[in-house]
Amino acid sequence: MPDKLKIMVIDDEEIVGKRLKPALEKRGDIIESFVNSKEALARLVEEHFDIVITDIRMDEIDGLEVLDYIKSHSKDTKVIMITGYATVEVAREALAKGAFDFIAKPFKPEDLRIIINKAVKELNAEQMT
Amino acid sequence: MLKKEKTDTQIREEEYSESRDSKSLLKRPSISIRTRLIIAFSLIFVLSAVITIWSFITIEQIMDKIQFLKTSDNYKSEILEARRFEKNYLLYGTNLNDAQNNVHNAKSILEENSETIIKILGSSDFLKMESLLSEYQELLEKLGTKLYDNEKKNVEQRLREHGLKMIETALNFENIERQSVDDMLKLAHRIPFIFLFLLLLSIIFIISFLARQLLGSLARFMKYTERIADGDFSPIPPQRKYQDEFSQLRMAFNHMIKELDHRHKILVESHKLRAVGTLVAGVAHELNNPLNNTMLTASMLQEDYNDLEDEEKLDMINDVIKETERSQKIVCNLLNFARESEVKLIPLNLNEILNDSIRLVANQVKLSKINLIRNFSKNISPIHGDAQMLQQVFVNLILNAIDALHEKGTITVSTFKSKDENYITAEIKDNGPGIPEHILERIFEPFFTTKPIRKGTGLGLSVSRGILRSIGGYITVESKINEGAAFKVILPTTNIPSDFNPQHILDSSSGYNFD
Repeated sequence: MPDKLKIMVIDDEEIVGKRLKPALEKRGDIIESFVNSKEALARLVEEHFDIVITDIRMDEIDGLEVLDYIKSHSKDTKVIMITGYATVEVAREALAKGAFDFIAKPFKPEDLRIIINKAVKELNAEQMT
Repeated sequence: MLKKEKTDTQIREEEYSESRDSKSLLKRPSISIRTRLIIAFSLIFVLSAVITIWSFITIEQIMDKIQFLKTSDNYKSEILEARRFEKNYLLYGTNLNDAQNNVHNAKSILEENSETIIKILGSSDFLKMESLLSEYQELLEKLGTKLYDNEKKNVEQRLREHGLKMIETALNFENIERQSVDDMLKLAHRIPFIFLFLLLLSIIFIISFLARQLLGSLARFMKYTERIADGDFSPIPPQRKYQDEFSQLRMAFNHMIKELDHRHKILVESHKLRAVGTLVAGVAHELNNPLNNTMLTASMLQEDYNDLEDEEKLDMINDVIKETERSQKIVCNLLNFARESEVKLIPLNLNEILNDSIRLVANQVKLSKINLIRNFSKNISPIHGDAQMLQQVFVNLILNAIDALHEKGTITVSTFKSKDENYITAEIKDNGPGIPEHILERIFEPFFTTKPIRKGTGLGLSVSRGILRSIGGYITVESKINEGAAFKVILPTTNIPSDFNPQHILDSSSGYNFD
């Protein structure tokens, strides 16, 4: 486990990536943000990411499809779902499909960092075993 | 508050106009259909009674005449008998006593019936008959006395002449009487035919009267009901100068129309609110994006305030403003749609209305993973309509298409010129399962729905049709199983005058299907 985590943020709202990048870099991780989920998926094929934070509802390829891809290609990647309109069903579906956790819009960078910390802990625990 | 007061004033005005209407009705003379029917049938009765009495009198007269004819016959036979004795006297010299008796009898018949005879023949003829009889009687008496041959011959000659004249008058009298009986019989013979003819005339009159008064009015009211069913809620103007059952019916109709209009408005409004309910979910979702952007930006600004360059701070503040404005637009769009407002027919750009409607349903479209294509014709004339009502129609049609598609389909929204240049068409087409033919003709009926209970009220298309009719437009549908459905909303351009009434088109059968 390298010191620096590779984190990907996918949200078709440009500001989300723009603000989360500096917010999450504070932990010293490497952040890559994507507005287009198709491009993000292409990037995921190229490289392994430790954590992927993705919006659920997006054009073309949605968050659940991204989740499906990750779970079938790199099982140890933690996926955090962002829901714009938090419904129990969507969150339950995402969790059932293997998402690590979900966060509902609107949220503060700090809220997300707490979830990331939890994910990092789990990643570390997994590595120990 | 101001708007509510205005509505109250309008209600008061409507009530006032209705009471004014009933007051003006009360001023008019009242001739009820019942009264008119009673008058008509009474006239027939009077006519029948008059003719019955007339024929009764005629038969009475004929009976009298026949009775009198016997008298004239008796008179004639007395005269003939007298003449027979006169002849016997002249030929065989028999006595004249019998002739005397006959003349006496004839004279008494004449005297007994003098009044009637004078009526028939006139007094001069009667006097002539009487004098002839008297002279004849005198001559007979003279012949009974002793006379010279010369004188006797002279008297005999005069007797013969008088006898002839008497027979002439008797025959004349009888003929005249017979003629009069014949005439009366002919008349009596005609009476039934005259009666039938007059009866036929009065029946024709009554039928045409009933047809005009009752059936004509009923047909008129049937047209009114069709008009009301078509969504035209304008009051029925008075048609008669007097009040009757139909004037009362018209008042009742106008009252019903007012109620229907009121209920229709409530229905349109409640249906809109239902659509608002559906849209709110999407709007809440849509709102979360700018809210989240604002939250993230503001939080970062707070966190890193001391480390940020001025330029970065300014950029973040601008983002906050921009995203707040974005939220405002989303809310405004829905609020504009939901707000209760007066219907105003103004020139509108149909493409803009469709864009606004699409923006309202954008989230439903996104959530359902549906591809929405806009295919707008740029060169279309402005249409005449109410923005809010049209949005309600389009939102409803797009939401229906989304429901039909379930997931991952395509909705194409297009605008183009109609065949009739005075109309512009907006088409909402989906490539869903389509609408079965047996349902197709019923989908505009109120409360008809294929959706499960609680999901659909079955009022959407019926309300949409009502809205379009009220602004002079109409809606059609085409669908093929497994190929999708296409709803066409055809709207009048501003070329059509604003006081335009859709009913005019309905009547002029311009080849359009208004359902």
